[in-house]
Amino acid sequence: MVEVVFGSKIMQLLIAFILVSTFMILGSTRLYSCVRAFGIQSFLLACVAGIVAYSTGKYDIYIVALLTLIIKSAVIPYIFIYIIREIKVKKEIELYVNISPSLIIGGTLVVISYYLIRSISIISELSSLALSASMSLVSIGLFIMISRKKALMQMLGILIMENGLFLGAISLTNGMPLLVELGIFFDVLIGVLIMGILIFRINKTFESIDTDLLKNLIG
Amino acid sequence: MIEYLLLAPVLTGILCFLTRSKKQVETVSLIGSIATLILGLILVKNVYQNNVIISWTNALFADAFSAFIVLIVSIVGFVASVYSIGYMGHEFKHGIMDLRKLKIYYILFHIFMFTMLLVGVTNNLGLWIAIEMTTLVSALLMILHTKKSSVEAAWKYMIICTVGITFALFGTILTYYGAVKILGESGDALNWTSLIAVADQFDPTIMKLAFIFILIGYGTKAGLAPMHTWLPDAHSEAPTPVSALLSGVLLNCAMYGIIRFYTIATKSTGPAFTSNLLIIFGLLSIGIAVPFIILQEDYKRMLAYSSVEHMGIIALGIGFGGVLGVFGAILHMFNHAMTKSLMFFGAGNVLLKHETKEIDKVSGIMKSMPATGTMLLIGGLAITGSPPFGIFISEFTILSAGFFQGNIISSVLFLLFIIMIFAGFFYNLSKMIFGTPKSGIVPGEVSRWTLGAMVIVAVFVIVLGVYIPPFFYDMIMKVVAVIRVI
Repeated sequence: MVEVVFGSKIMQLLIAFILVSTFMILGSTRLYSCVRAFGIQSFLLACVAGIVAYSTGKYDIYIVALLTLIIKSAVIPYIFIYIIREIKVKKEIELYVNISPSLIIGGTLVVISYYLIRSISIISELSSLALSASMSLVSIGLFIMISRKKALMQMLGILIMENGLFLGAISLTNGMPLLVELGIFFDVLIGVLIMGILIFRINKTFESIDTDLLKNLIG
Repeated sequence: MIEYLLLAPVLTGILCFLTRSKKQVETVSLIGSIATLILGLILVKNVYQNNVIISWTNALFADAFSAFIVLIVSIVGFVASVYSIGYMGHEFKHGIMDLRKLKIYYILFHIFMFTMLLVGVTNNLGLWIAIEMTTLVSALLMILHTKKSSVEAAWKYMIICTVGITFALFGTILTYYGAVKILGESGDALNWTSLIAVADQFDPTIMKLAFIFILIGYGTKAGLAPMHTWLPDAHSEAPTPVSALLSGVLLNCAMYGIIRFYTIATKSTGPAFTSNLLIIFGLLSIGIAVPFIILQEDYKRMLAYSSVEHMGIIALGIGFGGVLGVFGAILHMFNHAMTKSLMFFGAGNVLLKHETKEIDKVSGIMKSMPATGTMLLIGGLAITGSPPFGIFISEFTILSAGFFQGNIISSVLFLLFIIMIFAGFFYNLSKMIFGTPKSGIVPGEVSRWTLGAMVIVAVFVIVLGVYIPPFFYDMIMKVVAVIRVI
């Protein structure tokens, strides 16, 4: 049944837009637009969950969709913007890998994910589209974490990875049991808050949130 | 039953929040950890008699393996809370901590205990949630001191472990996908009790993929090489009582997650695949620790690398398999928890006295702090695997399992590595223990509390080296029966 849903045109469009939003984050050097793109991505994800909920008629997926909408596309971006304002961080992101190579690497990662998922062939043609998008999100999230200097971008990278897994879970199995989903939301939210506290602490002790400075403990 | 055990540390945390003086918060914390210990022991006794306890509509569950983790958490937690009174009291006296920080410390300490107990007793394979919670709480404990190094360590810890655990989540999702095909979509399809019953029908391709992700994910948290990079930073920068909990208990909790999935995956994929992966990661962890221990300049980092080594040994024991291998691995979990706490407690005393973590700047502990020196000597001999201490027994069991199962090359490598580690570790430790004290060090122990805590764990270290009580033996055999699938 899920496969039918994921084969539909509207779903394919949503998944394509989710990938586009990921590339918006890859292709931007401004913190605000990265956070906005993340918000859009989470909103699209909530739509995906909403459609799955509508077509299966399961109330717990509705709850999950609603939580995604509230926590990931509103609360978490708000926390980001709060941090950016409070510590008056420079709005430009410094990069280890420039924009154009970043975009090329991102594209390559999408292609690799697509072929990887195809080759495993544990699932049918249709939901494999969603699953390869999910793999792409995970790998691009990881790439963002290692190629951007600001601690905030590492936090964003983790959240993109988490979004990718969410897409994977919902395309494979209609999402995890409700209790587990609630627990994951709780952990993500608390995690973001605690990373926020850590970023404030980094800013206070190092007077910057460039992860360049965090290189003293070795050996 | 289980819910009372979980309630005890939470309640203690809340009560710590309400206290108004140093004396009060210490008393509350001590009573709370004694209560947790007693409830933990009662749980262990119940499981020992009834095999399995399930409560709270199937969500909480304890079998022999859970009970074993609960046992380790509650014993080390109790001892660490005793040690905290001395250690934090010293920092309080010297103005490093104020009352507010002290209260935050004790609150977080007990919440941390709660999350670790939760890892042991959740029935759901969403024990992912509990493991992620341990990361969050312990990262906060690490930034209690606003030093540059501890902030850096906490950030690395948080980022690397969260990424790692995200992979574990993917593994969990795949397992659920495999389970749904057989059990249908229900809340129970991730429950350990229902999974294990049908594990042999799972699609091996999916389970192989799932196990790889789980091993990388929880392996990051357990400090298996090459995902261990955060561990030396985090364990050496945390406040010492927390270091003991991180090394002694938290690593075991992550290992617990791996072993649970190992049992399920092995039923579906057959033993060769999962065991070989564990042996490879295990040997790599032991091997990578060798140069870092020999060339180490910081004694707390040396202990942290030794934890990487010992997690490798546990993985190796499970990988070798057979009754002997699994028995050795489980016994090693307990022995390592006790011995490593002893070592960290000793290192903490040295740190308070000398205010440096450099090995070269410390000497003559035996003369300036005879009791701590003796404990460190015992702990050092024990942790490097010399007889007649607990770790010798478990390492020897694992080694003989390796030879017995025909893994000659791995066993020889293992033996070679631990001999090198013995030499390096002991060389560094003896520089600190013997010789004449540095000038300006006033002889005398730091506090009676810290010594008391060390004596308690030292008893375990010494006794388990010469005698394994029959009930303890039975308990471990029950754990072996839960884990062993071949």
